[in-house]
Amino acid sequence: MSLLQVSDASRHYGATPALVGVALSLRPGEKVALIGPSGSGKTTLLRLLGLQEKPSSGSVTTLETDLATASADVLREARSRIGMLPQDLGLVPNLRVIQNIILGRSGTRNLLRTCRDLLFPSKSDRAEIFAILERLAIAEKMYDRADSLSGGQQQRVALARSLFQGAEILLADEPLSAVDPARGRDVLKLLTSLSDEDGLSLIVSLHQVELAREFFPRVIGLKAGRVVFDGSPSDEEIASLYSTDQ
Amino acid sequence: MTGARWRMFFGRKWLFVLLVLVFGWTLTKLGTQVVNLSEAADPWAASGRFFSAAFSPSLSDENPSLPAITTPFLERTASDLLRTLRYALIAMSLAIPAGVFLGLFASEQWLPNNGLRPFLNALRWLLRLGLSLVRAIHELIWALLFLAAVGDSPLTACLALALPASAILGKVFSELIDEQSRSAQKVIVASGGSGAQGFLGGIFPAALPDMISYALYRFECSLRASATLGFIGIETIGLGIRRSFENTYYSEVWTQLYLLIALVVIVEALGNLVRKRLRIGKPRQKSGVAMTEPTLRRTAPKDHLVRSLGLAAAVLVMASWSFGDRLLPRGNESQQAERLSRFFAQLTPDPVAPDRPVPTWAERREAWDAGSGDLLPWLHDLWESPGIAALTNTVAMSVAAIILASALAFFLIPWGARTLARSQPLGLEMVTGKLRSLVGGVVRAFFILTRAVPEYLYAFLLVGILGPSAWPLVLALALHNVGILGRLWGEVIENRDPRQARQILGMGGSRLQAFIGALTPLSLNRFLLFFFYRWESCLREATVLGMLGVSSLGYFISLRRSFLQYDQIIFFALLGAGAIIAGDIISDLLRKRLRT
Repeated sequence: MSLLQVSDASRHYGATPALVGVALSLRPGEKVALIGPSGSGKTTLLRLLGLQEKPSSGSVTTLETDLATASADVLREARSRIGMLPQDLGLVPNLRVIQNIILGRSGTRNLLRTCRDLLFPSKSDRAEIFAILERLAIAEKMYDRADSLSGGQQQRVALARSLFQGAEILLADEPLSAVDPARGRDVLKLLTSLSDEDGLSLIVSLHQVELAREFFPRVIGLKAGRVVFDGSPSDEEIASLYSTDQ
Repeated sequence: MTGARWRMFFGRKWLFVLLVLVFGWTLTKLGTQVVNLSEAADPWAASGRFFSAAFSPSLSDENPSLPAITTPFLERTASDLLRTLRYALIAMSLAIPAGVFLGLFASEQWLPNNGLRPFLNALRWLLRLGLSLVRAIHELIWALLFLAAVGDSPLTACLALALPASAILGKVFSELIDEQSRSAQKVIVASGGSGAQGFLGGIFPAALPDMISYALYRFECSLRASATLGFIGIETIGLGIRRSFENTYYSEVWTQLYLLIALVVIVEALGNLVRKRLRIGKPRQKSGVAMTEPTLRRTAPKDHLVRSLGLAAAVLVMASWSFGDRLLPRGNESQQAERLSRFFAQLTPDPVAPDRPVPTWAERREAWDAGSGDLLPWLHDLWESPGIAALTNTVAMSVAAIILASALAFFLIPWGARTLARSQPLGLEMVTGKLRSLVGGVVRAFFILTRAVPEYLYAFLLVGILGPSAWPLVLALALHNVGILGRLWGEVIENRDPRQARQILGMGGSRLQAFIGALTPLSLNRFLLFFFYRWESCLREATVLGMLGVSSLGYFISLRRSFLQYDQIIFFALLGAGAIIAGDIISDLLRKRLRT
């Protein structure tokens, strides 16, 4: 059974093609790096996989759900199992860490419960969040304001939000852009170890080719919206990915 | 206008010339007579007596022949002041929830992404226009209308304050909501949350500190407006000041002024404190505590000061609702109904108004059929005289006032800005400067005091001293706005990139040279932004200042009130509102232009 299935998907913004004829599938627990030059369609692909937007043609099915045909309830249920780690992290700066994390379960809770979560989080939620933060080594920040944390710590808060959400797939958009270059390796180590321990499927877009090859058994190369390679690329394939000739 | 031509038009050297020319135009409209007293009166002696009383504020009644049963002055003043506060608190407790509700619907947040969007967006703009209209009508005019419609009661005052406050809060809240980053909301929706959850978790908390900040400022304004309502007979501190002044008990006036200023300054200071705390949040104090969830929770950084102030505000609001004079108007239901229906009859434009004060529907119908043809000529006549002239005078007053206020504020800023008024301006050691920080403190205190007193109160006192002419009103507007511009512009200067200015100081230049040569050119756009923002509020205030007896919209409003011609009052109020909305749009457009 495949976790997600993309067949011949294209996406245009007006006349500009962002993705052209992409096909791929993913098994549960797989770790995939998306590499390619800026504007090659990495973010668009992540948005399609995350059921954020529909392909202009072709189909995308994530967790057996197709945005084009799903009912609101089915879509909500599927989305509640997809974790998103956007480039800007999507944290509310003046909320506490715990409040930011507890919002991760909005997909399975109603509006009233969200109000309660923000004001009076339940004991079991608190214990669960504390355990997740301990695992990410920032437990002492649990009740601090998000904007008082460093960039790397904020990223771990965003990650904790997806873990608390109970995501089965994590879609991370250039997670290394938010941290010090020297810490990039630590971030990938953390992400891949979470994937190994929890069976979380991981799709990470990256600029750093070497790190992608080091941490991810499967690397997908995108160029001008097309998949150029899918697997473990050779040096020639990498070179052609970043060459300027068409 | 293209960008380049715009810059030429609004270039720095032309700006000055333009302001002088516009000021010259206001002189042709308002005349040059500042003092308008009878031949026998000596303005110097009168103002001398008034200002010398400032040094001897009175603690008891100046009138020696009061009957023994009269409430003593200080007690009376204290209850006037409490009532002023009470009305402002009740008004804000109504206006804030209304503002949040209106703000949400005036924002883009709830618009769906489907075919209905353009239609609903049009509705949203209609709502925004409605909010502008409600806010454009001044508290005093709302109070006049409510007094006529439901009679004199505390509720009248509270509603008159709450209505424009709700509208402006709604407008500003909607802008704050739309300004927030959408990224947290997007994550919530992407993980299955609804749009409402995304708003509640991702947008609203982010906008909340700014919303609280603005609501605090609005409370300050309501407090001043509440004091102003005294001048049309509602029992707030303004009424006490009016009575004391008209009886020439100047020492009493000063006591009341000092108390009002103290109240407003305290509210402003507390507001600033809360604003600062909300912006940065409180850092964690203790470290090294045992790392368990309960201990972390217990030692979480909590701002006790902000919490206790919030609690105190809640207690004050509840007390305002529960204690004090009866909120609802007196009289039984049939009297109320009769008053209301009489009011609506007075509100009906004259040509179509029925003869009897409390008409039946049939009579209304008849009057409409008989007079509807005269409606347009009636409007036309009002517009020709005195409408257009009154409107022009009102606009001229607001323009003259904002130019005067700007000139004074601009002159004072280099002496008052925190970063310059110290012995180490912008971090540079200077030889001269010990006196500077003292002067700086004095200038900033002047700004605080001038903005603490409402425009209408200044105008009342100045008209009393100088006699009824347009200039006391202009001075009143200018005085209040000097304080506000001084603060806003001062903050602009303090937040500017100091490098160029430091360069000038480092080369041996003076602070004034650094201000003129580096800080002003860097800040000019921001200065103008606030200039237009304040001009628009001057215009709003100018529409009512005429009620003190100077030919402008307010004058005709108060004149028509004595004849119970509420139809004409509405006409003048709407005329003013139209100008204010136009001013609002002009100032908005210019500010958008200046921001880029």
